[in-house]
Amino acid sequence: MSEHDKIRELLALAAADALTSTEEKQVAEHVRSCIACSNELGAWRPIASELRRLPTPQPSSWLVQATLARAEAKLTEQAEHDWNRRVMIVVVAFAWLLTIASWAVFHFVSGRFERLLGPQFSHTWISFAAFTALEWLAGGVAAVMLAIRQRGERRLV
Amino acid sequence: MVGATALSLEGLVAVDADVVRLRRGDLNALSELITRYQNRLYRYLLRIVRQPAEAEDLFQQTWLRVVEKIRSFDASRNFDAWLFTLARNLAIDHLRRIRPQSLDEPLANTWHSETVADRIPCKDHTPLDHALAAERRTEISEAMAALPTMYREVLTLRFEEEMKIEEIAQVTAVPVSTVKSRLRRSLEQLRYALEARYPGGTWQ
Repeated sequence: MSEHDKIRELLALAAADALTSTEEKQVAEHVRSCIACSNELGAWRPIASELRRLPTPQPSSWLVQATLARAEAKLTEQAEHDWNRRVMIVVVAFAWLLTIASWAVFHFVSGRFERLLGPQFSHTWISFAAFTALEWLAGGVAAVMLAIRQRGERRLV
Repeated sequence: MVGATALSLEGLVAVDADVVRLRRGDLNALSELITRYQNRLYRYLLRIVRQPAEAEDLFQQTWLRVVEKIRSFDASRNFDAWLFTLARNLAIDHLRRIRPQSLDEPLANTWHSETVADRIPCKDHTPLDHALAAERRTEISEAMAALPTMYREVLTLRFEEEMKIEEIAQVTAVPVSTVKSRLRRSLEQLRYALEARYPGGTWQ
């Protein structure tokens, strides 16, 4: 491909201001000495110029208001969702704390606190862990079932 | 020039501040962003899908997606490019769903939209100049509307959105070289279409 052909391929992009500075210099230099390319560049310029001045279609004010209302509702819903999640984390942490504390308190009240640290220590803690895990498993299953149901209801809405 | 640059920088800072506020869940920031981008976003969507009803639906979906994804937006990135990428993805999915052929093939459909400002005659031009300019714009608009989607898209991003080639590459998720070749081909097709309609360059 000759230099002339290469430059000719760049002319449309030159009118679109889409050349690198090196390419721009090459085109400017070539166009000064080549009438055909100069004319060709002249033919591209009005197209580029008209494209820049095309009328801008505007959305109706109703569309903008409706969009804003829907987006705001979504934002509020997300904020509520985040708040619920934070509350859930606090509640779960509190429930764990309560579970652990109640176990110790129960033993203390029943006068068997020392057994917690005694030879029966491992058995006590194994049964405590099993009891707690079972409780939380049941709670988790219930939470998942509720979440699935809630998601289904949201889809229907 | 310096004034324009300062204004543009001011706009960028305002957008950044609105984006930060929106990430914190500020409703006013959302309103500011929608107001700021409403014309550009709607125009872009309309150029891609060509049907006002579809563009309106996608306009709403885009802002809902913005609300949904704003927290994953990397603040070091350009918000314009991110917003147009979201809009583009939705528009392309929509086109794939309703008219699978429309991504590459031109449709014999025309659109013409004129704002009130466009109908007001300018003092510096005669009514004839104004009528001729309006006619030229109509001709370009119609020729552009008949181009394939990817060509319409690159033309609107470059000439109407005034995006740099690198930004267009970011929005369309293709290399810079591909953007350049698409831009060149789209201009060539547009010119052929205009010359075919108006032989001898009479459209000018």
